[in-house]
Amino acid sequence: MLRLAAVSFLNTKPITHGLTHGGLGADRFSLTFDLPSRCAEALHADRADLALLPLGALGPHASAFRLVPGVAIASRGKVGTVLLLSHVPREQLSVIHLDGASRTSQVLIQLLCRAWGITPRFSPLGHDQIVDAIQATEGALVIGDACFSVAHQFPYVYDLGEAWAEWVGLRFVYAAWVGRKDRVSLDDVRMLRESLALGLQARTEIAQAFANTNGLDPAVCERYLRENIHYDLGSAELCGAQAFLSRAADAGLIQTQGPLRFFSGPSPTQAAPTSARSIDRLLADAAKGARLSHEEGVRLYTQAPLMDLGQAADERRARLHPPNVVTYIIDRNVNYTNACTTACQFCNFYRPAGTPGTYVLSRDELAQKLAETVALGGVQILLQGGVNPDLGLAYYEDLFRFMKANFPLAIHGLSPEEIRFLSEKESLSIPAVLERLAAAGMDSLPGGGAEILDDEIRSRISPHKCSTDTWLEVMRQAHRLGLRSTGTMVFGFGETPVHLVNHLDRLRSLQDETAGFTAFIPWSFQAEGTKLPLRDDTSAARYLRVLALSRLYLDTIPNLQVSWVTMGPALGQIGLRFGGNDFGSAMIEENVVAQAGAVFRLSAQDIERLIRAAGFIPRRRNMRYEWI
Amino acid sequence: MFDAIKDKAARGEPLSFDEGVALYRHPNLVELGALANLVREKRHGDRAYFNRNLHINPTNICIASCTLCSYSRKRADEPGAFTLSLADAVGKLRARLEAGQVVTEVHLVGGLREDLPFSYFTDLVSGLKAASPGIAIKAFSAVEIFHFHRVYGQSVEDILRALQASGLDSLPGGGAEIFAPRVRRQICPNKCDADQWIDVHRTAHRLGLPSNATMLFGTLETVEERVEHLVRLRALQTETNGFLAFIPLPFHPENNALGDRPMPTAAETLRMVAVSRLVLQNIPHIKAYWVSLGLPVAQTALWFGADDFDGTVSEEKIYHQAGAQTPQVLPGAEIARIIAAAGRVPVERNTLYTRLEEVKG
Repeated sequence: MLRLAAVSFLNTKPITHGLTHGGLGADRFSLTFDLPSRCAEALHADRADLALLPLGALGPHASAFRLVPGVAIASRGKVGTVLLLSHVPREQLSVIHLDGASRTSQVLIQLLCRAWGITPRFSPLGHDQIVDAIQATEGALVIGDACFSVAHQFPYVYDLGEAWAEWVGLRFVYAAWVGRKDRVSLDDVRMLRESLALGLQARTEIAQAFANTNGLDPAVCERYLRENIHYDLGSAELCGAQAFLSRAADAGLIQTQGPLRFFSGPSPTQAAPTSARSIDRLLADAAKGARLSHEEGVRLYTQAPLMDLGQAADERRARLHPPNVVTYIIDRNVNYTNACTTACQFCNFYRPAGTPGTYVLSRDELAQKLAETVALGGVQILLQGGVNPDLGLAYYEDLFRFMKANFPLAIHGLSPEEIRFLSEKESLSIPAVLERLAAAGMDSLPGGGAEILDDEIRSRISPHKCSTDTWLEVMRQAHRLGLRSTGTMVFGFGETPVHLVNHLDRLRSLQDETAGFTAFIPWSFQAEGTKLPLRDDTSAARYLRVLALSRLYLDTIPNLQVSWVTMGPALGQIGLRFGGNDFGSAMIEENVVAQAGAVFRLSAQDIERLIRAAGFIPRRRNMRYEWI
Repeated sequence: MFDAIKDKAARGEPLSFDEGVALYRHPNLVELGALANLVREKRHGDRAYFNRNLHINPTNICIASCTLCSYSRKRADEPGAFTLSLADAVGKLRARLEAGQVVTEVHLVGGLREDLPFSYFTDLVSGLKAASPGIAIKAFSAVEIFHFHRVYGQSVEDILRALQASGLDSLPGGGAEIFAPRVRRQICPNKCDADQWIDVHRTAHRLGLPSNATMLFGTLETVEERVEHLVRLRALQTETNGFLAFIPLPFHPENNALGDRPMPTAAETLRMVAVSRLVLQNIPHIKAYWVSLGLPVAQTALWFGADDFDGTVSEEKIYHQAGAQTPQVLPGAEIARIIAAAGRVPVERNTLYTRLEEVKG
């Protein structure tokens, strides 16, 4: 028997519904309801195997715990039940009383007060006394179902879910199933997801029953379950959760935690559509987030009119992200070496290892580039090289430690092919290589070298590069360690629509398993000067078609980057209306694509102008897509 | 607001000035584009037109000194100043034809001169026509025609009749820039004014000379002034029905006195194309002039209301002097490929759109 502990708020009922009302797992789980703080205690004291907990409660032992994928209590804006209530505007508050029942909300309000530039005194109080404490310039953080009956009594109501979204641009995760890493099986995970699925279908009845018991309006309760609470736990929610944890740790409000990791979960099986959906139906459904089958993806790509595809992708973007914001990052692409053994036909950057014209950047050269990056407001280094046979794991460990010790920059590197090479060179497993690199300071992996994830194409254009399976396996292992990565696709190698959708499908399947991809970035092959003569269509219209299809097909990868570096600023800008929500990087340096003829340069100011002219508000972000 | 305008536009009713402005300001570019595309497809289906043309600029010496121009020289002794002889001009066309290239139209525009006889210009028209009898001569913007009228002391009508008698087939749409006097005073003070520009086209249409119309956007004008420009063109078209195509042209800032201001972005250009299609429903064609827009934007514009890609444009000079990064020439097969890659059916046309031929992309 697996011992489950959960809180009994309205918003948890859909999660436990299948267990309590659907007859699920009666022989597998014993479920007890308790206060949030007691649930955490039960897990830490090993009186529970799995508890529905806020993620800040994991403490320094986070690495011993795992999360159940796909199930959370989260919000994408207004949450409705985490409120700062007062009689005066927040600037005039002298005291904020804190509801003792939720530690996470207490941390959140303190972070937000700093962001708002106000410094009230915080005073913890019991859950039952909290509303009465709101007097004059003393406000209170009120959480849970109490909000339904009291919020309307106060002239000033600040919704913390909404405030978080406006501050950071991401979702907020209030609670998720947390358990010890070896206790929960694949079947347990499947059943917990099923329980939620049943609960989501029963939201009307759940709201009705709750309203009856508590003397509330059932419509209000139902709207809360449908519109405020967002029950998924995927990549977008992980981004929000990590942003909260790191901000809270930086502010000294919680202990630093390691990365959040998932239990291995089964890929959600998609029910095959019962009848063939028309193109219009497919577009309308996909715009709302419904999943496309492989066949439907191919059909949309080959048959949907461009503008219809664009409009559906635009609608999907607006549902996934703050609808009027486009993000970008300032980082620098550092190619630490150009010596390479993979000899890809399409590459114009590499020099064969051991031949004249190869380089490895010296420490001084690198330090200068990093210092310039910091001076220009950069927050990250995209570090990729050739696959240089002279460089072993120790080189990278030293390099990363040197970078981390001297510069406040995130390390986005290395790509799967480089990881695979290190694993072979050092006779270490891929997880072992990744673990050592992460320990040395690697923050995330770029999705480079994916080209087309179909071995029929790969064997033709890059026979010495890792196979589709290996590329995905490196990403899988990285995600399991809590590292996040991007995914890319380079098209225009003469692949068919089926190859393209194969690529998207493989990424989506892995994302279902790991939720580790933060973003997807497609672009077309830049042929000039490479060994591959350009025969394929790499025109603007095809790029926009691929971009829009990617937005619709990759329902669980939150961000879609336009690639102005390769496609040009004009097409990058138009791409923002074909599904793209991120303008990529104000790159200080780019070598590989520049060698193949793409020579576009944009400053952060140029990028902001392009974003504004497309009708969006530009926001700078970091690798977690957190606004900064 | 958008939905009401949408219904009206879809029914083909003329939009008001305010509605044109509201469309331009509609935040969702792809929605705006889809609406323009609806109107475009109703009229032209999947077809996108192009032609095989040659640009000849007989002279770059010009008395007008427009701040927007990167091309002109004031005096004949300045470096780079040139005047083509009749033989030079005809030689350019002959060279193309002898190389086996198809050219169905010559686009002939140049600087404003006071020191050349009118016969120089009539001879150019008749000489080019004689070199390739089937060819269409699309020559002299309204600004040049009006200038001829001033310099040679003949009425606009007589000037046009003389050119027509020499073989002129149609007028290009240049020199319209922005009609608003406030802006015209600053960017092209010595060009004819909006009324004069319109009157030249009115007269041409009456004489059976069809023409195009342009608008240069992205200098100093407001959105309202852009829409006002469109509305004035629409009014003339209601009267004469002589315009074949409208060509919105984003301003290129290099090498001119206006300089130091960013070029309109792709999103603004597509917005302008779409609004043009929707406001100018009585002008048959909206042209995505690839030389000015750039290939990616021009190709995309075929889904935002444009139905014409212009032509092969051998020897374009004016935009390239202003920093355009586009190629000097695109072979017809390449244009057809780009159009087909956009999911449109490439159709080669003649100048008057009276002969159309589907081309395999």
